[in-house]
Order: sequence, then C-alpha cells, then structure tokens
Amino acid sequence: MSGIVRLMDVVKDYPLGKVTVHALRKVNLTIDKGEFTVIAGPSGSGKTTLLNLIGCIDVATAGEVLVDGKSTGKLTDKQLTSLRLNSIGFIFQSFNLINVLDIRQNVEFPLLLQGGLSKAERQARVDDVVDKVGLRQFASQRPNELSGGQRQRVAIARALVTRPAIVLADEPTANLDSTTGTQIIDLMKEINHQDHTTFIFSTHDEKVMKRADRVVRILDGMLEAAGLSESRGPSESGGEQVHA
Amino acid sequence: MSATLGVLIQMALRNLVVHRVKTGVVGLIMFFGTFLVVSGTAMLDSIRGSMEKSITSSLSGDIQVYSSEAEDALALFGSMGMSTPDIGEIDEFKPLRETLLEVEGVKAVVPMGIAMATVFGGTEIDRVLSDLRVATRDADAEGTAMRVEQLVQIAERMRKDVAMAAKASSEPEKTQDQLASLDRVLAPGFGADLAADPSGTLDWLDNKVAPIAADGRMLYLRNIGTNLDTFPQTFDRFRLVDGELVPPGQRGILLSKAFYEKQAKNFVARELDKIKKSLDQGKTIAEDAVVSELVARTATQYQRIQFQLSPKDAVIVTERLRTKLGRTDGDLAALLQEFLKMDDANFADRYAWFYQEIAPRVRLYEIPVGEEVTLRSFTKSGYIRAVNVKVYGTFEFSGLETSDLAGANNLVDMMTFRSLYGKMTDDQLDELADIKASSGVKQVSRDNAEDALFGGGGSLEAETTTAGAGFDEFAGLTLGAAATAGALDTTQYTTAQMEDGLALTAAVVLDEGGDVPAAIERIEAAAKAKGLAVQAVGWETASGIVGQIVMVLQVVLYTAIFIIFLVALVIINNTMVMATMERTTEIGTMRAIGAQRPFVIVLFLVETMVLGAIAGGLGAGAGALFITWLNHVGVPAVADALVLLFAGPRLYPVFTSGNLAFGMGSILAISALSTLYPSVLAARVLPVVAMQAKE
Repeated sequence: MSGIVRLMDVVKDYPLGKVTVHALRKVNLTIDKGEFTVIAGPSGSGKTTLLNLIGCIDVATAGEVLVDGKSTGKLTDKQLTSLRLNSIGFIFQSFNLINVLDIRQNVEFPLLLQGGLSKAERQARVDDVVDKVGLRQFASQRPNELSGGQRQRVAIARALVTRPAIVLADEPTANLDSTTGTQIIDLMKEINHQDHTTFIFSTHDEKVMKRADRVVRILDGMLEAAGLSESRGPSESGGEQVHA
Repeated sequence: MSATLGVLIQMALRNLVVHRVKTGVVGLIMFFGTFLVVSGTAMLDSIRGSMEKSITSSLSGDIQVYSSEAEDALALFGSMGMSTPDIGEIDEFKPLRETLLEVEGVKAVVPMGIAMATVFGGTEIDRVLSDLRVATRDADAEGTAMRVEQLVQIAERMRKDVAMAAKASSEPEKTQDQLASLDRVLAPGFGADLAADPSGTLDWLDNKVAPIAADGRMLYLRNIGTNLDTFPQTFDRFRLVDGELVPPGQRGILLSKAFYEKQAKNFVARELDKIKKSLDQGKTIAEDAVVSELVARTATQYQRIQFQLSPKDAVIVTERLRTKLGRTDGDLAALLQEFLKMDDANFADRYAWFYQEIAPRVRLYEIPVGEEVTLRSFTKSGYIRAVNVKVYGTFEFSGLETSDLAGANNLVDMMTFRSLYGKMTDDQLDELADIKASSGVKQVSRDNAEDALFGGGGSLEAETTTAGAGFDEFAGLTLGAAATAGALDTTQYTTAQMEDGLALTAAVVLDEGGDVPAAIERIEAAAKAKGLAVQAVGWETASGIVGQIVMVLQVVLYTAIFIIFLVALVIINNTMVMATMERTTEIGTMRAIGAQRPFVIVLFLVETMVLGAIAGGLGAGAGALFITWLNHVGVPAVADALVLLFAGPRLYPVFTSGNLAFGMGSILAISALSTLYPSVLAARVLPVVAMQAKE
C-alpha cells in the first residue's frame, strides 16, 4: 500500500462544552503522489478537519495519518512543523499573506524558515515561482495593493517555492469571483501537470470539482461509499479505492 | 541566518508603522524612560564627581582611617544623630602615619580629630564693663565718662525689663534686689562712687549688675583638629580669607568664613546680609513677606549697634545719620531706628553706608580675628575643659564659599584638639602622678582623672594650659562666664609633638586618579600586618550626612526609574498581549507554513527591541542633549547643601558613554522582559487558526 497521504480509521473529536463533536468518524483514505484531488462536501461536513489532519496542523483523536511516510500522531510539535515546512505547501481561503512584506518577500519567507539556500539560490527559486504564477511585474508590491486573484497567486507561489510533495488548499476559490476562481484552479492544474505536485483541496463549488482528477465526498464526518462518492476524472494516475 | 534576521527586522519596522498607536504609546514610554535614565544617572554621576572633588579636596581626603573599635560610623560633616558619635581613638598617630605612607598610592597622611566647643558671645554690658575697666586702669577720664554714660543707658533699659518681669516674678525678693542694684547705677552719685573706688565698684558691677542682663549668646563650634602646617597644602581647596595662617608649631584656630559670617557676626550686620542675599535673588521687601518681616525685625535691634558704639563714635554716627537722613534733630536711638527702616529703593545705598560708616565702629564679629577666644568643651568623660586659643584667621574652601555644610568645621591645631577632647598633656599627667602618690589613689584612668584631680563634685572646669605663662593681654576681653582657661599657650611645638599622639582619624590623600576601593584594601592589609586596630572608609562614607544625601538622591532616582520601568513593563506587556491577539491569523499562518515556536518568540522580541532601540536611542539622545544644555547654563545650587554637592554655586553636569550605555541597556532589557510573556503567548497560537481565517 503506497500513497503520499494515508488515513487509516481516523477519528477526530472536538469537545464542545459538555458534548463531543465527531468531526471525522473512522475515515480511510489514500492519495497518491501527483493526484489532483478535491475534497467536496457541504459546510460542517468535515472537509477542513480532514485537510488539517493531512496538513499536519492537527492530529487525529484515533487512527493513523501518514504523510510523506511519517505517522503524524507520533511526531512532536517541532517535527510536525518541520514536516509542514518541508513537505507541504498551504493555500488558504483568505490568502493569509504577510501584509508587511512585499510579494517577493512573502514568497521567499518559507525558504528563509528552511535555511540552507544561498541568497542567489533563493532568488532564483522565487523568480521561478513568481514567473509561474505570472506576477513578475508585481514582485515588489505589497499584498494589499493586489487583487484577490493576484493575492491567491502569491499564495500559490509561496506554497510551491519549497517544492513540497503536497500542496493543500482550503477552498482556494471561495473568496474569488468565478472567473478568477477558474483561472486559479487552471493554474494549479497546470502546475500539477508540469511538476506532478500532489494537490489536495477542499471546495463545495461544482465547477471546481469538475476539473479535479478525483473527487472525495464527505458528509457528517464520513466519506461517502466508493463508486458513489468518487468520480475519476481524466487523470491517468491510478488511486486507491476509498473505503467507507 | 542574517537574511532571516534582516527580514525579521524589516517586518518589525513595518509592523511598527502599521500599528502606529501601539508604537506611539510604547515608544513614548520607552523614550521617557531612557531619557530619565540617561539624564538622571548623568546628573547623579556628575554630582558624585563634584561632591568627590568638594569633599576629598576640602576635608576628608580620599580615605579616612579610624579605630576599628569605633562604636559609631565616622561622619566628618556631621551625622543625623544628636549626640557626638563615638569613633574611637588612635592613641599613637605616628606608627599609623608611617604604615600608611608605605602603602602604594598614598600621597599624604594628615591627622584629624573632631571636637565640639562653645564660645560665649558676651552681652553689651559685659563689653562696656570690660572697656570701663581698661579706661579706669589707664586713668582715661573722658573714656570713663563715656562708658559710664553707656552703662547708664543700658541700666535704664534693664530696669524697664526687670520692672516688667517683676510683675510676674515668683522671686520678688530677687527682683527687688536687682532693681536696687540698677537704681544705684542710675543714681546721680554713681560716677562719684566709681571715681572713689574704681576696683571695688567694678567688681560690684561684675557681680551684681552684669548677671542681671540676659544670657550672652553661646556659639557652638565644630572643630577639626589637624596638622595646620600641612593642611593647606594637602587640601588644595583651602583658602585663607582674613588674617594669617597659624604659625608653624603654634596653637591656634582658623574659623570657617561661613561660620564666621553666619554665626559670629553682629546681629544687625548679619540680618542685613540676609536681606541683601534675598534681594540679590530677585525678591523684594515690598512683595516678599519673609523679607519685609526680616527688615522690620532688624529695625527693632538698633540697640545692638547703639550700645556697641563708643561715646565718641556715637556722636560721629549721630551727626552722619542726621546728614544722611536729612534730620536736624533726633537722638542716636531714633536715628538708628529710622535708618534701619529700609525699603527696596534705599536698601542698597543704606547697606553700603552701614558697612562704610557703622560697621568699622562696632564689634562686627564676636570673635575678632587676631584676638583670643576661650573654647569650652565637654570632654568625653563629662567634665568641662576651657582652652584659650588665638584666632589667627578665617578660611573657606574655594567653590564652596556659600555652603553651610562645607563651612561647618573650624580648624584647630592638634594640641588644642587634644585639650578640648580631654587628652592630658605630659605636664598634667606628671601632676596626676604626683597627686596619685600623695593622695594614695591607686588607679586613675583618664576617665576619672579629673575627679581625682579636682575632687569629683567640686569645680567642673579644669585649667588645661599651664605652660607659656605671661601677661595675658586679652584677659579682659574674655567674654561671658568667668574664664578659668589659663593663659594663652604660646609654646613652640615641634611637628612631632603636634602630630604624634592622640588623633581620631587619619585623612589619606591618594596619588592622582587613585582607585579608592583598592587603596582601602591595601591600607587595611598593611594596618593588619602591623597589628593596628584601624578601619578604612572611602570619602563618601566618611563624610556622613553628605554622603547620605547622595545616597538619598540615588534611592529617589532609582525608585523613579524603577517605577517608570515597572509602568513601562506593564503597559508594553499589555499592549503586546493585545497585539498578539490581533495577529493570531498572521502567527497561525507562519506556524502553518513551517515557522517553529522560537521563531515566533524572536519575531515579537525583535519587534519590541527594534522599537526599544529607536525610542530608547532618541530618549538617550534627548537626555544627552538635555545634559549638554544643563552643562551650558549650569544647574543653580538653590539650597546650601547643594553647594557642597555641586562643588560650587552651579553644577555643570556631563554625560558619559556609560550613562548612554546604561540607558540603552536598561530599555532593551525592559523591552525583552516585557515581551517575554506576550511572545510566549504568541508562540502558543495554533497553526490551525490560519485555516479559520475568513476575509
């Protein structure tokens, strides 16, 4: 059983006052390298919780989550942070750029956290991804001088600059108009094709879902039954079956 | 690493701009705190430096060495306590001096001792009687007549006072007796009585009339016994004002000019000086209640001039006052009263006129330079010593002329000090041995020696000086209570006699730029090696009350700084906690994309430190500018104590790189300390909040 991300019987409960919210109930999921996967479901279905566990910013209450071969439940905060830094790129719904830094600096930021690269190497990497997202002429501007779409492009560039194995995006088009949203998804898809970077993102936008290789549907913390829940797009990458 | 730091600093700077209000509030506190630290410590250092100059070069030397058996701490400029402190004794100064002079870095060693003494300032009648005695002895008929006239004037005033007091007197017989005595002086036949029996009448006046007058004023002198030959060279602020230095090997006293002006001067002259000082400070008689009160009171004291003028001078002064005031009549009393009713318009003119016309004709100082005084002291064992000593001159410490504290001490030779202190001379010790042998007393310590000599409950005054007997030309001038101090001792002493023997302390002057604490260690080690039971203290400790003033200033300043920093700490802490809450998304995002917790802590620390560096730098700069400005204009010593602290009438403070470094260091430390909690709080922000952010 391979797969860059594997979830086995994963349970996530949140205490909410005296009751416990069962956000994920025994979820099993495998995502292979290079897949362009959408996690779909209505609000409160557990999409974000699932992404949080895959993104190593939260840990499961029970079950096992393997990311890039590492079982996240056994890692310390420091190791989890390291794993996020080196293996995962994040694209947030609200872009979450650092407003006091310019575009180039925002993109460079994860490289600075990683350390190890010379200034020239960092420069080359940043130029490369900024070119890729088509923002070269905006490189020295601050995030608040850009449009939403442009900001999300910066976020994509920041997510890609460390060349992560997985890029996670939490409803990346939710704050964008549909045209821009489509452009963003196209850009991500293009990068997926070029670099075989694994993309996992959540959405409830049907148009976005149509562009995915694979759609995993979630409802009330459970993935819907195989075949029903999953539709395969034109991608050639073969995936594991989803176990309900 | 440096790139990361560069981005952190850049983020910090930009965040400071973005959060302007927070930056403004915190920055202002930091600015003010650093300003206070830099200017406050610079002032304190300057004061300490100037005080060091004042004190070490005027009295204490760099180090004071005194007995390790002392009960109290040494306080050269006086202590807080009322009683005379017990600072032990150095029985033999010679071995101590020799030991100290061998210590590396010691330039000079001067013996010192502290002894309090009193001098009676006489009453007017005492002076008149004294003059009268001289006039009758010299068969000076005119002089005698003038003195008798003065005596009658005084007796008239005294009779009024006694008659008034008689109404409330509990001893009617005594007051009746006093009135009878005064009536005899006022009777027409008194002149004849005096002519018939001058000596008997004068004795009667001394015994019956003079005591009726209110007590003469008692002056308290704080005397530092020292080697008067070496003192002026060793303490370079010493400056002779009037008279001359005490000749080498002679006994004598040099009075502090400040004491002389403020204590020993004629009352009216002293009050006029006070008024002038107030007017020089910009006050006016018309507007300042204290000054106008002073003027009114001074005018009532005209008799202090009237009775001091010789009859001949009284005539001259009366005439000149008439001319001055444009009067054709009026007696001296009325004219003096009018003259002393001064206002802002005529004060300067009359003040000058007073010193030109009146002052030379009165006894301007109760203890004139060149004359002899009788110093009385309670020795350690409780009996009274009286020593006659010549006043050679007055002195001051340059730069400290107006300081009462610096002027609190008069200087006497070591022999006189030992007499006042209660140390017996060799002659007296021999005499004591004789008495011991003849009386059968076996054990006589210094403490009961006087009882043994003079019989315990009997006379309390001891005659201290027997050597150098001769005609006592000043005997008639010895004022107040009966003088039993003996004749003036004019023995020529050797330096060894002066220096060796009892002293209380040794003032040690170090070579230029000497390190005081290190020298104290060396001195104590050397003394210990020689078996001398002494302790050494720096000038600051030795100066007593003055050193305490600086300590108080230090406590006040550091308390203020502490409070400001405490407030800064709380405000910065709160502001940063709020900033942390506002920035959870940003922090969460950083954590999500891979920033470790220490990075977040450093991010916040750097932000406050950058603000601290900027605001603190500006504050330090402002502090430095402020001190530079003060250095330019000078800080006036508004109180007398400040003159000593400032080593002069104005302090010209300077700042050092140390003050700046201390200011910057403390504000950066406060920045770090106040951000510690908020930054740890920030580091606890979970990366998951990044996902919750909604725009």
